[in-house]
Amino acid sequence: MVNDAGQLYTMEGIAAGLIMILTAYIVVSTTSIYTTGDTHIPDMQLEQLGSDVLAMMDTPDNSSGENQLVGLVYHNRSDNFKKEFLRYCNATTDGTLDNLHMSASVTYRKNSVIKEHPFVAPDETWTGRESAVRVTRWVQLTEGPPNPYENRLQAVLVEVLLWRA
Amino acid sequence: MVVSMVPGLLAGLESSGIDYDAVAYRTGVILVEDPGWWAEDPNGQGEGQERLRDGPSWEMVDKDKIKRVGLAVSRETPNILLSTKVEKFFSTSFFDEDDYRSKAIFGDIPYSYNFSLNISNPDGTYDLKQTGSPIPLGYGYIRRVVKIKEPGVAEINESFKDRYTGVEWNSTARNFTVRLDFSHLLDPTIKPIYRINPRIEPVNVTITDFRDYLNDSYEDAALKNVTFWKTTKEDPRPVRLSWLSYNEKKPDTYTLHLDGDSHNLTPNEPVNSSISLVLRPNFMTFMGPTDTLDIQFNFDENPPKTNITGIHHYNNTSVTRPDLKTAVLEVAIW
Repeated sequence: MVNDAGQLYTMEGIAAGLIMILTAYIVVSTTSIYTTGDTHIPDMQLEQLGSDVLAMMDTPDNSSGENQLVGLVYHNRSDNFKKEFLRYCNATTDGTLDNLHMSASVTYRKNSVIKEHPFVAPDETWTGRESAVRVTRWVQLTEGPPNPYENRLQAVLVEVLLWRA
Repeated sequence: MVVSMVPGLLAGLESSGIDYDAVAYRTGVILVEDPGWWAEDPNGQGEGQERLRDGPSWEMVDKDKIKRVGLAVSRETPNILLSTKVEKFFSTSFFDEDDYRSKAIFGDIPYSYNFSLNISNPDGTYDLKQTGSPIPLGYGYIRRVVKIKEPGVAEINESFKDRYTGVEWNSTARNFTVRLDFSHLLDPTIKPIYRINPRIEPVNVTITDFRDYLNDSYEDAALKNVTFWKTTKEDPRPVRLSWLSYNEKKPDTYTLHLDGDSHNLTPNEPVNSSISLVLRPNFMTFMGPTDTLDIQFNFDENPPKTNITGIHHYNNTSVTRPDLKTAVLEVAIW
């Protein structure tokens, strides 16, 4: 005998199906997936920190004071450069240390050739697969014997690679 | 339609972690790279900005006039923060939570925040300043490395004794002048981060070893008063500042300490060891960029108990300026 019960079951089935599909849609659409597009945020944070550090090393503490960055590059003091750079970088306000690592190189011109001087070698945490950021700063060097690049007044480019281990 | 909007709403809540980082970054930039901004009235936008160039900055005006707080010395000096701005910013008696939200963080929703600044002193100690709530899990973050500029002190100690002690003369009045030549102090060839700018930083004149300036056999001398004289380029005759209430203590404008005790500008009290006068930037709002201010310490006793005299120039060579201090600023937003 034909009656309305089958029709009711069909409608209920369709309604239930719709609710399930809707639920699945909401769940899927609210799950945030960490895409490569979002990695620019930690990168930006590191870049900002690194360029702050280079800028502050490039600022003498008083009007007749020594410029730390120029001094370290000019005298090729790579160990001190690494120590100072990481001291600024890893400092936090609660006294704990962050876990940042770095390597650095200096790009300069000798005659008509652009050369790169490996200034600070990467430490053992470097695997080559880190998501490292690069910060740079131009440094003006005066003429003189300790200048490890070309012995003349010149601007060299200090490049620092910075990563979190 | 409503149904189709629901996922968007939830998705917005879910992805706010990324938004927090952006807000933290923006707040960090405002604090570190901007000197702040204020306006006389909420609708007139230009005035405060114009006056900010060489007038008072936000830390000297009433709170309701402040539009944006920034800690930088000037807009040309990112990452160099002014200590007086830092003090004011972290003063929770001055700013409340809504002020931090409306003048530093901005944004449509009331973000929670935690600002902390750790200043390293030359002696190896740290000076931590902090405001905001404890940081929960999942917050937006930025860390900035900065340097802090602090005001200098003109210390007049016994080494100036021969220079600033006169021989007996007829009058019993004795006065010693400290001169601030603004055209010299605000010389644009001096970089702003090393410049002495009395209009944004306190002026501190301290006479130590005052005992050495006393005449024989006297234990102390009475400082009658301190007076201020202004000269302008157009009119070289000194004009005494009459607007100032000399009989009232005004810690927002000046402080005067004799042997460590606080006084008004007409103490008439004996002093034997130190005189310290601090003029806050509020005091300097009437000074133009080419004016000269003379601070006169007057003694008048019969017989005179001190023969202190002369003019001490408050400038880059006579003022001891502390080195810039390195500091770390952390901004957390959630």
